[in-house]
Amino acid sequence: MKNVKSANYWQIDHKIKNILGIEGVVVLPSAEAWQKFKWVKSLFKEKPKEGYFLWVKKQISFPLTTCITIASPKISQNLTNLLVIEKGLRIKANITCNAAENNLYGSHKAKGKMILKEGASLEYSHFHQWGEKDFVSPDYEFILEKDSKLVYTYKNLLPPENLILKTTIYSGKNSSSNINFLVNAINSKIRIQDTLILEGGNSQGIVKLRLVARKKSDIEAISEIVAKNIVKGHLDCQGLLVDKDSKISLAPKLLCQNKNAQLTHEASIGRIAEEQLIYLRMRGLTQDEAIKLIVTGFLEIK
Amino acid sequence: MIKMLLTLKNLYVAGNGKKILNGIDFQIRHNEVQALLGPNGSGKSTLAQVILGNPKYEIIKGGIFFEEREITKLSMEKRAKLGIALSWQSPPAIKGVKLSQLLEKISKIKFESKKLDLTPRFLERELNLEFSGGEKKLSELLQILSLKPKLVIFDEIDSGLDIKKLEKVAKIIKKELVAKGISILLITHSGTILRFLKPKITNVILNGKIICKEKDYKKVLRTIRKYDYEKCKKCKLLAD
Repeated sequence: MKNVKSANYWQIDHKIKNILGIEGVVVLPSAEAWQKFKWVKSLFKEKPKEGYFLWVKKQISFPLTTCITIASPKISQNLTNLLVIEKGLRIKANITCNAAENNLYGSHKAKGKMILKEGASLEYSHFHQWGEKDFVSPDYEFILEKDSKLVYTYKNLLPPENLILKTTIYSGKNSSSNINFLVNAINSKIRIQDTLILEGGNSQGIVKLRLVARKKSDIEAISEIVAKNIVKGHLDCQGLLVDKDSKISLAPKLLCQNKNAQLTHEASIGRIAEEQLIYLRMRGLTQDEAIKLIVTGFLEIK
Repeated sequence: MIKMLLTLKNLYVAGNGKKILNGIDFQIRHNEVQALLGPNGSGKSTLAQVILGNPKYEIIKGGIFFEEREITKLSMEKRAKLGIALSWQSPPAIKGVKLSQLLEKISKIKFESKKLDLTPRFLERELNLEFSGGEKKLSELLQILSLKPKLVIFDEIDSGLDIKKLEKVAKIIKKELVAKGISILLITHSGTILRFLKPKITNVILNGKIICKEKDYKKVLRTIRKYDYEKCKKCKLLAD
């Protein structure tokens, strides 16, 4: 195991295709971890059916990778995932969930808990890529202990027919979070509900939503920050309506329970400016290529 | 017979229900530099946009021909592919799209940006977002050079550039475009660029009509500076 430079979990339909740990990184099916560790039992009400358990106990120099794929028709995945980063470790994770084909009518439900222990840092890149008839419903909780730092980017450029995305972040003292949701809806119904709960003193967070609605898409997003202490939070929600048949509803919500907290938000929904399209077409791009380039730019987070 | 590069025949154009161009006749050959001067609102920029096919403008009458092929109804991208390029006076900002990304998509040749004193860092900036006037012009020029066009219309390339920068830009246009036989139409209000690029014909447009075609650009500039465009209306060298 000494020279192995990866720790990963790879599942297709309900079958684990590859599971690889390394010294200091425990990788197990979540059902096995539930049996093996008492503390895991305390985190979930029921024994997990499927999904991954990643426990990082030592610093590693490469990203953790997981890939969960639906490759057969009418598969219904019901995942329970757990990621634990021990104190002071700085970790990157590349998490992919996808469908291998466009018309599999799959269902992908996932419940996840991501725990960052004191002083830990996690850069979590979550990529989704689905078929146009899939149903996808991830419900993730991030628990940020004291002084921890989270950068979470959810990117979905090929969405399913239905996406219900629920994310909750609990922020401990002095923790910081930078949360990005980037969704390019194409003939999709998207429901997003994210809540950043700033519990610990001096915790801070920024949440950015970049939502594009194309081809009869319907997006509803409720993005909320709750301040329970002297904290700082900012919401930045932006929607881009590409065609007439789509709609976007953005609801930024700030709940302040401490008079010294600082919460701000900005929200806008716009369309592609005609002048931008003309400019790019005069450079030789077709209408579709120009829209694609503008959308790619819109979904770019600095 | 010398093949014309671009011909505009009796072109009448409206925008927002208002007549803007009123019977434009214009021709430019291969390997030729021409200028188009006119006061604000005379139709200079509209003419450039119409040549490139901006659908905002409606062609009421007349036609546009490129290398003797009618392109009046051709889409903007197809005109660009034929080799017609426009350097915009005020290009729009596109958030999130880097100049380098656009260059990657449109370039037919790789033009060294350092020849324009543009740093790699500049190429990574978002397109026209918070660019200064001069930076916009240089970004436009870089895109034009990368497109390898046959005809370039520069819409007010000389505004927003100080004289030193303008001299440099003119030198590059000369070396990379004029010397390679690429035709240029310089649309300018101030006329500052003309002394560097010496157009073969200087056209004056007034109220959407070209009323003067003069070989001596200095003469036109002198007249305009002295009498504004009022004298042009009475000029003996009226267009055909």
